Amino acid sequence: MSVLSSLAQLEAVATGRAQPLATVRHCHVAAEPLVMVPLKLAGEAAAPLAVMLGTERAEPTLLVVPQPRNRDLRFAFAADLAKLVLEYVESSRGATEELPPGKDGEERVRYGGAPQLLVPNRAGVGFLRMLGRSTRFRRTDGPYAVDPAVPRLGRWLTWFADRHDKPGACLLMTMTETLRLHWATGQSSLEDGNLAALLGWIDPPDGLDGPAAAARAEDPVTCPPAGPATDPTFDNEVLAPAIAAYDQSGDDRAEERVRSVLDGQLRPTWELMWDAIGLLRALPEGASVAARWERDRDSFTWYHSTFDESHPQARRDPAVRAARRLHDLERAQDAYDAQRAFDDPLVMAEHRLAGQAFGGVVTESEPTRLDESGRRPKLRPHLRVATEDPLQLDVGTTVCDAARPALKGKIIEIDAAGGVLLELTGGMGRKLVPEPGVVPEPGRRVCFTSLGTGSWGAAKFPEREDTPWTHGGPPEEYVPTDEDAAEEWS
Amino acid sequence: MTHDSALERLRGGAEPRNHDARTIAALTANPGCARRGIMDAAGVDKDAVARRLGFPAPFGQSQFAITRGNAFEAQVKADGCAELLTLLRDRLGLDVPEVAYDDLEVVAGNESRELRHARTRRLLERALSSGEGTLFDHPLLRLDIAGQPAYLEPDVIAFQLGGRFHIIEIKSFAVIDGQAEPEQVAAAARQSAVYVLALRRLLEELGAPAERVSHEVFLVCPENFSNRPTATPLDVRPQLAVLGRQLARLTRVEQIVGGLPDDLTFELEAEELPDAVRTVEARYAPECMASCEMAFFCRDEARACGGTGVLGKAVRDDLGGVDSIGTALALADGSLDPSPDLAETAERLRTAARLRREALTA
Amino acid sequence: MPAAPDVPPAETTTETAAATDALEARIGDLRAAVRRAIANGDRQAARVLRSELRQAEEAWDEAVLGSGGPAHDVRRPLVPVRDQVHQALTLLGAPAAPKLIGSVYAAFFPGDIPGSRLTSLRRDEERSFRTAPYARPFYLCPALTADLLSPARGLLAVSTWPQAQRIVGPLSARADFLTAAIRVAEQAGRGPDGSGVQRLLWRFAANIPGATAGTVGTVDPAVLAEAARAELDVHRDADRHQRERAAERALAQLDDAGRLFGSRLHALRRTGSGNATDGENTR
Repeated sequence: MSVLSSLAQLEAVATGRAQPLATVRHCHVAAEPLVMVPLKLAGEAAAPLAVMLGTERAEPTLLVVPQPRNRDLRFAFAADLAKLVLEYVESSRGATEELPPGKDGEERVRYGGAPQLLVPNRAGVGFLRMLGRSTRFRRTDGPYAVDPAVPRLGRWLTWFADRHDKPGACLLMTMTETLRLHWATGQSSLEDGNLAALLGWIDPPDGLDGPAAAARAEDPVTCPPAGPATDPTFDNEVLAPAIAAYDQSGDDRAEERVRSVLDGQLRPTWELMWDAIGLLRALPEGASVAARWERDRDSFTWYHSTFDESHPQARRDPAVRAARRLHDLERAQDAYDAQRAFDDPLVMAEHRLAGQAFGGVVTESEPTRLDESGRRPKLRPHLRVATEDPLQLDVGTTVCDAARPALKGKIIEIDAAGGVLLELTGGMGRKLVPEPGVVPEPGRRVCFTSLGTGSWGAAKFPEREDTPWTHGGPPEEYVPTDEDAAEEWS
Repeated sequence: MTHDSALERLRGGAEPRNHDARTIAALTANPGCARRGIMDAAGVDKDAVARRLGFPAPFGQSQFAITRGNAFEAQVKADGCAELLTLLRDRLGLDVPEVAYDDLEVVAGNESRELRHARTRRLLERALSSGEGTLFDHPLLRLDIAGQPAYLEPDVIAFQLGGRFHIIEIKSFAVIDGQAEPEQVAAAARQSAVYVLALRRLLEELGAPAERVSHEVFLVCPENFSNRPTATPLDVRPQLAVLGRQLARLTRVEQIVGGLPDDLTFELEAEELPDAVRTVEARYAPECMASCEMAFFCRDEARACGGTGVLGKAVRDDLGGVDSIGTALALADGSLDPSPDLAETAERLRTAARLRREALTA
Repeated sequence: MPAAPDVPPAETTTETAAATDALEARIGDLRAAVRRAIANGDRQAARVLRSELRQAEEAWDEAVLGSGGPAHDVRRPLVPVRDQVHQALTLLGAPAAPKLIGSVYAAFFPGDIPGSRLTSLRRDEERSFRTAPYARPFYLCPALTADLLSPARGLLAVSTWPQAQRIVGPLSARADFLTAAIRVAEQAGRGPDGSGVQRLLWRFAANIPGATAGTVGTVDPAVLAEAARAELDVHRDADRHQRERAAERALAQLDDAGRLFGSRLHALRRTGSGNATDGENTR
């Protein structure tokens, strides 16, 4: 949060509509995302009740467990879900692209596509993570054998949930978080957790304003919650009698009744998900989105191509992997923050407000100035920018042009009237005169920032066999045990 | 005496509401809210008031969750707490002879609270002097809330180990790979702290030191996706401190009631109920929706007043003490000159407004 | 388009479809109304609406199915419930909770004990005894608590057992659990075992030190019995002492009905409170 986004929220209150926090879209939206709206049984850790999923708005598939306490029915559900998800994962690969060989000459490839899962909210990710945890160790032989697709599903769901933790990754996204990245509403973040209310502020139905649409969305009878938790009065008054009827007769009709009441709970959220996808698609894509999606495709390529040789993910990360992971996440966060700022002046405005960037009009420009103090002359144009921004940078700081990050310079002087004198040092070509149009002329609006685009070096971590004793020493190689597989699924 | 009658008037003659560990734990949320403080001190049925005002609190529980909770508890306690004993033996080294089990839920077929409380007292007194007894199921405890005794019917077990008592709370949320949902653990810790406190008060009444009730409670939950129970020790000292502080506040009722109009009442049938509620200032924050029955009424009120608090603490902090949305916007667009103490905030708001404008029109 | 002169089937179908649609709409409305009533704390209205909802749902079933709903499975057990419980308790040899009684019966005898019938059992037994004492060879009665000689919550015993066996003190729950483990293990050692028996053995073994319970199906009944005996040795004397002292008090203070169903004063209180909630009991 910042004063800037808080101000946007105030404006949303005043206008009764959500206000933009971004001028471009900061995430990849796949041509065919797999939308999933899961529901779970109240009081259980990961007992699935239903999921509505599909890649097309007009053709959702509804999977239901008519009696969620029945283990066989749950695994039948998991097997059905597995087939759909695995099929989607396979179909999203596209053509394989050959890359130049790596440093040690190994072959490198990248799939042309990658799967993208969209769920309504964070709790939905939590549920997929739990479902993954509860299925990835299942055995496909022995007394409690499950369909071979079930543990594969578990591993993929675990991988997706893991990818969600990485800032800027778009393999598994939640709709509420994604929308909140682009719009500010006139309600609190807690209330923004309700997808229907959030969308009510961003795109209210005809005849309603944001607050009225959000108020309507808070009535669980009119607007069922987006899951995975269901509304208690729905459970008690509608679902429980339907499940009881199924228990009694066990026939298709009773199952159909459970399906139809759950369909009624899921359908409104399904529609909202696609409305939201439409809103996101309408935004122009940020410049760095494609590059981040390429990293996502790399990550997918790696996991997919090593899937058959690898074990299910461990229950808990060993020390070194946990530390490396944390470091990777921090690096990804920094890079993602910077990339979004370069892509989007409204995000860069946050950095200007924080004094780490400044914008204004060029008042003086010496594009051909040379520094001849050394043995050979160097091209060092001077530029003076008049700014009203609350600058927090010191003389000597290296900055770059927000619109053309390759253009770098150094702050030489900050005058009392809000003028910043820059000496440009790079990004103007190799000659002693700058490439035409590169050095901004007087009258031009510019923005310079101290943010870097990718200067975060990888930290060194010990190999797993060198894990220090303070962190438990080298961990045992994780091999799934029978105990993992025999674990009851209540 | 005088404040008792004042409290009764506030309740409009109704009986004070029944507290349980959840409602007592909720007393510790948002301690700065005078409205809630008074209603709680007087034992007003906030749920009924909120409904009467047209803002029913959406706190309900799914029967699936209730059934699951009851089934797990019954399983752990079945056959003289066979599973629980196994757990305590494995994890805490409980000696094999320590198996005594006393059921305090019903006294001679009678469920009266006074009888049950008396029996709880008697058995614990005996336990203190002779060391007899290991597991005391469903003890009926008492805790004074704003001068009113509240009976607590915990679904917990008081467990004596080496001369100290521990609270054992059985919850049906899963601990998966050693981790449970933080909110659920936090809620369980708050509730357990209420029981620890009530049990300590009882021991003090019996002339024993409060420390004989441990601040370490045992949370018994299903492990992973099975029904197998697992025990996790939980240190509830922080929760105890917060709880003690807030209960002490509630006992200073004179101060709370002192500044109010003499005829103020929250009687449900009274026509002026909405005005009566508004007379006492609330401090609404979005978090209230998780714990206070009045939250939707207060939110509506705060929104109507254009308070910045409805947007959450982070926004409130960003706005550096500007409480009104209208004021903040007027400072941002320069139509209002700031008072000296708001000059800095106003400057930031104006800059923010300019930067947003520039970026959005670029 | 020339209209066919007689198209009753189509018309009927349309009518039925319209009626079904109307019913569906009504069911939807009623569901919403019930939930709103609950949300507003109006239990009275919720009850009324709920029953209307059930009626509408039944009407819908009938309209779509064309018959009176699913047939209920009404298999009567071959053995009366009280005999089933008696058999299970006799096998266990100690007071037990309905759940354990049920799983023991299911493991060793043909059929199941219908759980719903167990709840009314104790009341029926007491009524029968009070109307015509000792008319039956045995009665199923509650275990009595050692301190107050009143019914212990949820524990059943057999009237023909010695008084001390029907009384439970603080150690009895454990002692009886171990006794039951021994008896179940012995029974399992005698005959072929099904999955119900294995599950039962495992549940005992998992909670008795030294009974080595790996997974279901690997429990050795002899090892289990041995381990249970070893622990029972620790508790037996103290438990027996408490029970016998209480039994002496029961014999001295209570009449016949009291010795079986708990002290009379408290039994009255129970019936009194039962009346308020259970109409069936008033007759």
